[in-house]
Amino acid sequence: MLRRIKIDWADLPNFHPLETPFPAPERIYPGLEEITPESFPDFLNEIGLVGMGGSGFPASEKLRAGIGAHTLVINGVECEPGITIDQTVLLHHALWVQAGANASAKAIGAKRVILAVKDHPAQMVPLQKLYPDYDIVPFPDRYPTGAEKLILKKLTGNMPAPGIRPYQLGYIVQNVVSLRAIGRAMIDGFPVVERPLTLAAPASRFYKNTIVPIGLSVREILAAFDLLYDPARQLIVGGGLMMGCEMALDDLIEKTTTSLLLLDRAPLKKKERNCIRCGACNTACPLDLHPYSLVERIQKGKTHSTAFQAQMTECFLCGVCSAVCPSDIPLVQTLTEGKKCLP
Amino acid sequence: MSSVKAPFLHSGTRTSSMATWALSALLIPGAIYSMLYPSPFIFQLIGYALLGGLAEGLYHLIVRRKLKFNPMGSALTAALIAASVPPSMPFLPMLYAILIAIWIVKLPMVGLSLRFNAAMVGRLFLMQVYPGSIVAWGTPTPDVISTATPQELYRSEGFALELPQLLFDRIEGVWEELFLLVPGSPGETFPVLLLLLGGLLCYRGIIAWRAPVAFLLSFAIASAAFGDSVLFNLFSSATIFSAAFIVSDPVSTPMSKGGKIGVGILIGVSNAVIRHTTYYTEAIVYAVLLGNLFSPLLDRTAFMLRGRRLNQRLSQPHWAG
Repeated sequence: MLRRIKIDWADLPNFHPLETPFPAPERIYPGLEEITPESFPDFLNEIGLVGMGGSGFPASEKLRAGIGAHTLVINGVECEPGITIDQTVLLHHALWVQAGANASAKAIGAKRVILAVKDHPAQMVPLQKLYPDYDIVPFPDRYPTGAEKLILKKLTGNMPAPGIRPYQLGYIVQNVVSLRAIGRAMIDGFPVVERPLTLAAPASRFYKNTIVPIGLSVREILAAFDLLYDPARQLIVGGGLMMGCEMALDDLIEKTTTSLLLLDRAPLKKKERNCIRCGACNTACPLDLHPYSLVERIQKGKTHSTAFQAQMTECFLCGVCSAVCPSDIPLVQTLTEGKKCLP
Repeated sequence: MSSVKAPFLHSGTRTSSMATWALSALLIPGAIYSMLYPSPFIFQLIGYALLGGLAEGLYHLIVRRKLKFNPMGSALTAALIAASVPPSMPFLPMLYAILIAIWIVKLPMVGLSLRFNAAMVGRLFLMQVYPGSIVAWGTPTPDVISTATPQELYRSEGFALELPQLLFDRIEGVWEELFLLVPGSPGETFPVLLLLLGGLLCYRGIIAWRAPVAFLLSFAIASAAFGDSVLFNLFSSATIFSAAFIVSDPVSTPMSKGGKIGVGILIGVSNAVIRHTTYYTEAIVYAVLLGNLFSPLLDRTAFMLRGRRLNQRLSQPHWAG
């Protein structure tokens, strides 16, 4: 005969509420079967996805324009030196990335998915295991290979003309982190509320890839990782060494903040000197432009020639010319102004 | 607190160290020359380099009213002049040449797009005003042949010069005994070493390889086309020296890649033409100055051509969905 055991704390009519450690899905998003070219851009708008590689271009517009493209390119080539978040997401969040890539490929009707990664022999084997269905194309580990134009140059064989969008060539290039966000929404029901980013303080040998909620301030993140910050001596750079900008302590993490770097201020203070016309900027320019000639023309206001406008349209302000200039001339800042001279 | 702007990364050499590198590269053949042909040339070279630095200092003090300057560029110019003329050149002409090069050509023209190679202007001055000193080659004897390089001798007397000797060693034997010769300009005496040094400078990113390589190739081809001995022309009369130190000068050659190749070809071909058709074996001075004159034009042409090619690509048909 079974005897009832009385448990004194178990008040069965008023049972303890079940506390889930994780919040429930905010809403159920469509699965892979329900994705159609018509509904997918709206779904991207609903989760609030923008280009998370740093551009911030609305992903829904890109996808809507690209319906009918034959190839989806997963851009895992880290553009900026010193940032490793794309590779990390590829290796550790393969499920989400694959879900996002498959959904995007289905929506645009792509026949082929290309995974563009940096050419590191050590990570090739795990990547081939994780992404057996995709064509893995290695790219040289040299800034700025991760730019859309240069990826297309390698894939199509020639440089796309200035002003031509990738979908006009039949390609859609999506950043890894964007695809991860799509997969996260489809599988877990989370809209874009978090941002994987690289957090590094090279002076103290602190390197970490982490996922932070969007909207947190830089101060809170530094406090969470016990990083010391001295505004007089150091500066915080958000978004990469080459194209990023300085951030203040109270600035918030946005969807496009790819990294937070704590750099020493002293070695960055450079005094501009006279141009010695060595042509290092010409040699280094990945697009074979003439950066200093462009800068001279901008300063003199001679911006109406077709040669100038064609080159200025082509430039995507990667900053390589400034980085290699032996005279430390801020070429890329002037080129940014020159973009305004375009019609 | 000054604001720092992107990019937050810098790579490559800085201007401050470029001239230092080239000057130290120039000191090596100078030192070897002093050891092989016992002469105080290396001390002359250092002395003239100091003089060049001093001249730049004076210029800054008087014209710009400030004491902060980097004397290495002017020191290099002065050393280049000293290395491209015979060591027997008297002090006063050298002083004039250095002052003309630095005070008239080098410093006031900073920032202009048309620049001239200051060392070559200094040498041009010496060639025009002191023609007797610039070709003084060794000690005058009754049988004196007075020439800056073995080229002249080769042309006028038809002497065969053994190539290995020309490349690596001090020139001995019948030449020295007959004419008491030592080669004229110390900078150009060791072509193979100069070639190696030029390669090192390219590797370090101090000089760009396009102009020197285009110069050497086009010069060799043009010499062959005229029926002259290619190897002899390449390894004598300061050809390698000019490729490593003069044609590669960043300041006075074009910035664009195409312009660099263009100026190399221009200098190479005109050098071969002048050597073949006239009696100037030291054509390089004129050829380099001619190349400098064309540099802004070449740069502008390269810029226009790049723009035109971009526009052509824009009008090409592309994938249409």
